[in-house]
Amino acid sequence: MSDNAAMQDENAFLIDAFRRQLSETVTPARIRGIERGEGADALWNELYDTGFLDALVPEASGGAGLTLAQAFPLLMAAGEHAVPLPFAETMVARGLLVRHGAPAPQRAVIVLGGDTQQVPGGRFATHALVERDGGGMLLRVTGDDLDVFGTGGCSSLDEGEVVARVPLPAGACQLAAAAVAAALMAGAMGRVLDMALRYAGARQQFGRALGKFQAIQQQLAVLAQEVITAQVAARSAFVGQDFDPARVAAAKCRANEAAGAACNIAHAIHGAIGATQEFDLQLYTRRLKEWQIAFGSETYWAARLGRLRLAAQTATSADFLRQHLAHEE
Amino acid sequence: MRLTVENYPPGTIPPHAEALRAPVKAFIAEQLAGSPAHLRARSWSGFDAGFSKALAARGWVGVGIPKQYGGAGLDPFSRFVLVEELLAAGAPVAAHWFADRQSAPLILHYGSEAQRTSFLPRICRGELFFCIGMSEPNSGSDLASVRSRAERVPGGWKLNGQKIWTTYAHKSHYMIALIRTSGTSEDRQQGLSQFLVDLSLPGVTVNPIKLGTGDSDFNEVFFEDVILPEDALVGTEGNGWQQVNAELAFERSGPERIYSSLVLLDLWASLLGGDPTPDEAARLGRMLARLAPLRAMSVAMTGLLAAGQSPLTEAALFKDAGTALEQQIPAEIADAIAARPDRAADPELLRTLAYLMQLNHVFSLRGGTREILRGMIARGLGLR
Repeated sequence: MSDNAAMQDENAFLIDAFRRQLSETVTPARIRGIERGEGADALWNELYDTGFLDALVPEASGGAGLTLAQAFPLLMAAGEHAVPLPFAETMVARGLLVRHGAPAPQRAVIVLGGDTQQVPGGRFATHALVERDGGGMLLRVTGDDLDVFGTGGCSSLDEGEVVARVPLPAGACQLAAAAVAAALMAGAMGRVLDMALRYAGARQQFGRALGKFQAIQQQLAVLAQEVITAQVAARSAFVGQDFDPARVAAAKCRANEAAGAACNIAHAIHGAIGATQEFDLQLYTRRLKEWQIAFGSETYWAARLGRLRLAAQTATSADFLRQHLAHEE
Repeated sequence: MRLTVENYPPGTIPPHAEALRAPVKAFIAEQLAGSPAHLRARSWSGFDAGFSKALAARGWVGVGIPKQYGGAGLDPFSRFVLVEELLAAGAPVAAHWFADRQSAPLILHYGSEAQRTSFLPRICRGELFFCIGMSEPNSGSDLASVRSRAERVPGGWKLNGQKIWTTYAHKSHYMIALIRTSGTSEDRQQGLSQFLVDLSLPGVTVNPIKLGTGDSDFNEVFFEDVILPEDALVGTEGNGWQQVNAELAFERSGPERIYSSLVLLDLWASLLGGDPTPDEAARLGRMLARLAPLRAMSVAMTGLLAAGQSPLTEAALFKDAGTALEQQIPAEIADAIAARPDRAADPELLRTLAYLMQLNHVFSLRGGTREILRGMIARGLGLR
């Protein structure tokens, strides 16, 4: 077996292990408990102790030393399980901090800063990595109580003491925040597709399973298209060392567009039950809606991507796609 | 295993294939110098035998065909690069397009040695153009119901029937036709065979069909007691359906399912210059954000084809999403320019836009309709 294949195998093993752990730890009952305000410390400690928060921390500093591409499936898995805490955000922040010379404080719950209407998981955050004065800054924070989706988000962060300063490139925090949102959305949409397929297979109407009706099949085919194209776009944002504006723009724009269609179709397949407290679908779709307004909408990122295309002055858009948005090893 | 993102493994175009890009770009720049956008927008509907011959002279027709049969012996990634450049530039590739994409690979895989040595070198030299005879007046999406029939006669076959919507039959030398050789249309996929039909034979009548735009790329083709030689049959008698299906992954996975409106998009982008309004920038970006994952999926499927797989369901999902985008691009640009009725639009942009606006609604029909593709996706999702 080649080194590359061995590494891929090892990574697949790691992702499977992480998925299993999430299925055991982050159960829908637990998500509901945290949403009811029953406290998140216990779950955070369990997640912290898995060690996966240091997935992006270099091996020399005690982490797993994964690349962005290798870590992407972990973030998707977090979205797939509707992890109700800023786990993925903290993972990416810890990687950024260590790489720029400032290890994250023990057990810190870190969100990523940037202009946004809503900070997912912000009410649980102890710290935020934000951009200030041309660099990155790790601050102590307290989220406000404008948790409009009931997921533990907030609309702004009260800033406390400065814990560390790191030489982050301009825009890095916002790019990371939007990229993480796109990956979480990609995972959550995968779950929503799974649930819609399962429900269509089980639910009987007019004497047969919903999934046997052509009208339903055609809708599910569209749902799969939206989900898979958004997942490919998100995956393409997780290449190289640092997040790239064009890749993140395409990923967040596609995720936002797809999420609208995905929620509409999945809920249409489920009927009213899908939106009820007792049914799990809403745990994922409420988060998808929150992520849509977090760190820039499709129009915001589309405009940035459009300007990048014009500034690049490539002869064709195919050239732009190849040079700025294609997969890279 | 149901269809997921894992079916599109992330892939890159290998350096040997990328190396083809610069010479192809240079060739296209020279050949298409001065060609206006509204003509280039015809892309793989644009027929120019001279262009195809010049391309063949460079060795770029039938690049996937082995050298012993006159091809360049290159892999699917090299063809991807070549095709991507041709389509992005709006090169008029229709003359050799169907032979290059479908007929030559079909003859290579299923043809006899005699058929290979007879047809493939001429295809690769740009001397033989093919059309694909699938649809019939009563067989559209329900392709298995074809009624054109070939009967065995001493020394060959007698062909009767009719094909319709055959692109460029009036300018092609041969048709690869899906024909019933046994049973009836009730037998569906059984009893179908593929034939190489020389369109100059007695009993073949080709009538162009005029579209509302005045263009006539389509034809109806009549076969009346056409006597085909024994070796007109390609592959195995009765195996036509399987052979047609093997072509479909090639037909549906390529950049031609996402780039049909690219010349327009790029003309519009060049006119925006460095100073777009927020609305214009967002419209442009939105199209690119849709294009980016689709191109990645096309590259992924090229890798699967190169590995000998046949990503049929993957290609169905890609094509449905891709043609929807090809339809959306002219609609977005029309909306963008007419959002400012007080401002005159660039005349060449208007010509190019009008050409695509009058045709973009049919982009989802060619090569398998939306409903058929979604049925295939549903099967891939385990629903049928």
